[in-house]
Amino acid sequence: MYNTEVRGKLIEGDKSLGQISKDIIHPIDQKTPKWWFISMGISLIMLMAGLYAKYVTVTEGIGSWGLNNSVGWGWAIINFVWWIGIGHAGTAFSIFLLILRQKWRTSINRAAEAMTVVAVMCAGLFPLLHMGRVWNFFFVLPYPNTRGPLWVNFNSPLFWDFVAISAYLLISASFWYFGMIPDFATIRDTTKSKIKKAVYGFFSFGWTGSSKEWLRYEALSFILGGIAAVLVVSVHSIVATDFAVSVIPGWHTTIFPPYFVVGAIFSGFAMVLTLVTLMRKLYKMNNFITDNHVDAVARVLIFISLIMGTAYATEVFIAWYSASKYEFYMLIQNRMLGEYAFQFWAMVICNAFIPQLFWFKKIRRNITAVFIISLFINVGMWFERFNIVITTLAKDYLPANWASYSPSYIEILLFIGTLGLFGAGVLMFFRYIPMIAIHEVKSVAKFDKPTAERKKRHHHEE
Amino acid sequence: MKNKYLLGVFNDEDQVIDAFEELKEKKYPIEEVYSPYPIHEVLHGMGNKTYMTHAAFAIGVFAICGLIGAMYYISVISWPMIFGGKPSAAFPSFIVVTIVATILTITLGTIVIFQLRSKIYPGKKVTPIHDAATDDKFVIVLSHDEIETSKADVEAIFSRNGAVEVIEKESEKL
Repeated sequence: MYNTEVRGKLIEGDKSLGQISKDIIHPIDQKTPKWWFISMGISLIMLMAGLYAKYVTVTEGIGSWGLNNSVGWGWAIINFVWWIGIGHAGTAFSIFLLILRQKWRTSINRAAEAMTVVAVMCAGLFPLLHMGRVWNFFFVLPYPNTRGPLWVNFNSPLFWDFVAISAYLLISASFWYFGMIPDFATIRDTTKSKIKKAVYGFFSFGWTGSSKEWLRYEALSFILGGIAAVLVVSVHSIVATDFAVSVIPGWHTTIFPPYFVVGAIFSGFAMVLTLVTLMRKLYKMNNFITDNHVDAVARVLIFISLIMGTAYATEVFIAWYSASKYEFYMLIQNRMLGEYAFQFWAMVICNAFIPQLFWFKKIRRNITAVFIISLFINVGMWFERFNIVITTLAKDYLPANWASYSPSYIEILLFIGTLGLFGAGVLMFFRYIPMIAIHEVKSVAKFDKPTAERKKRHHHEE
Repeated sequence: MKNKYLLGVFNDEDQVIDAFEELKEKKYPIEEVYSPYPIHEVLHGMGNKTYMTHAAFAIGVFAICGLIGAMYYISVISWPMIFGGKPSAAFPSFIVVTIVATILTITLGTIVIFQLRSKIYPGKKVTPIHDAATDDKFVIVLSHDEIETSKADVEAIFSRNGAVEVIEKESEKL
C-alpha cells in the first residue's frame, strides 16, 4: 500500500476528479505553443537528414558506412542496442511497477509507454538497414518459400532478436493503446469541439465506463501485464545473446544478459526522467509529476547505477581472475587503456559515478540537476554500447586483423534521423494524447487523503 | 427499444459504494454502475464474472503447441539443416522463440476477446447514459420498471448516501 505520510503526496493541490481530467487534457485543448512548432521543425529537419542517409544507404549500400572487415558492426548496432534499452522503460514502468504495486507509477507510465513505442521503432530501423538489401527483409520470416525451401535458423540469436523486437513493438503498442481507451472516452465526453468528439470518439471504441467493461478491462491489464513482465527480462537478454554466443574476448561472457537487462532499465528510467522533467517544465504538470515522483525514480537510479558499477568491476575482475590473456588484454589493455579509453571512462563516470549524486536529497529535489544527470546517463549508456561493440571488434585474436573504426557522416546522419523521429513522436504524443493516464491518476487520488479519513474498506489494498 | 431508468449520480467513490451496498442489501436489481475508474467493491458486487484469464491460458497452450510443432516440422522434417554437426531437433533453442511468440499470441488474442466480450470496437458510437460518467461522476442505474413500487425508497437511499442528482432517463437498453 502507498503510505502518503512517508512517501509524500501523489497529486498536489487537492484536486477534484473533474479538475484532474481538465488539467491533463488542457495541453490538447490549448493553442499549440510556439516552442512546440520550433521543436517539431527541428525534429523534422533531423528526420529529413536521416531519410537522406537512408536513401544513400539503400542506393549505395553499406559501403557508405565507416565499417571495415574487422569492425563489421558500427554505430548502427550501437544505436540499435541503445534505443532498445531506452525502449525498456515502458515495460519496466507499466508492468514491473504494476506488479510491485507502486502507486507512483500512475502519472509516469503513459509517457514511458509512449516513449517505448517510438524508441523501439527507432531501434528496429538499424538492423533493417544493416541487412543491406532491405527490400528483401522478409527473408527473415519463416514461411514456405521457393528458395529450397530455405527456412530460417531457429538456433540463431539474431532470429530470436527479430522475433523479440517485433513482438515487443506490437505488445507495447497494444498495452499503450488499450491503456488510453478510457481516457479517450473522457476527452470525447468533455470536449466541446465536434471534430475532437468524432476523432477521440472513434478511438475510444465506444467506451462507457460500465462495470462490465471495467471488469474485463482489469482482466485485460492483468493478463497483458502478467505475461509481458517476461519481456522485461527476455528482450534485452536476447539482444545480449547476439553478443554472448560469439567466441571473441569481451563478448563471450555469461554476465551479458543480466548486465544488458539492468543497463536497459537504467537507460530507460533515465530517458523517462528526461521526459517527465520536460513535461513538468513545458506543460506545468508539477501537480501530477510531483517532486516525490522524481525522487522515487532518482532513488531507483542510484540502485541501478550501483549494479552497473558492480557489473563493470566484475568484468574487469573476471578478466584478470580467469587468467585468460585474451580477456585480460581486451578488458584492461584495450578497453581501459587503449585507443578507445575515452569511451570506457566516459561510460564509467556517467553511469557509475555521476548518478551517485542522487544520494543527496537536495539534488534529487532540484529538477534542473535531475534533468542534467538524466542526460549524462543517456550519454553514458550510449558510450557503454560503443565500448562493447567497437573495442571487441577492433582488436580480436589476430593482430593482423586489427583495425580502427570511425563512423562515416551517413551513419551519423542515420542516428540524427532517429533522434528526429523520437523527438517528433514524443511531440505528437504531448500534443494529441493525454500524457498522463487520467483514469489511473483518479484511482490513486484517494491515497492522498489522510489514512484516518480513508474508510476501512480499502484494507484489501494494504 | 427505449427503456426507462433511474439514475443516482455521486461525486465520491465512498458514497457510491455505500449506496451500492445498501441497494444490494435490500435486493434491488442494479442494472449497471458507471465510474471513471474501476471500483473493486462494485466489480465484485455486480456478480459478473469474466473468463478472460482462462481464454488467455487456452490461447497460450494452443500457441505453444503450434509453435513447437511448426519449428519441429521446419527444422527436422521439411529441411534438416546441419550446423556444425548439431542435432536438427535443437529443442533448448526453440524455447526462446516459443516464449516470446506465445506472449505475442496471447496478447493479440486477449485483445480480440476483450473487444468481442465487451462489445467495443473502433468507431463504435455510444450515447453515454450520463455525460460525466467518464469524467468525475459515479452513476448507479436501476431499471424503472423493476423498482416501480419502491421508487421512493431507492431515491431515499440515493440521497441519504449523498447523491448529487437523482434523475429519470430514457435510454436504449443497456
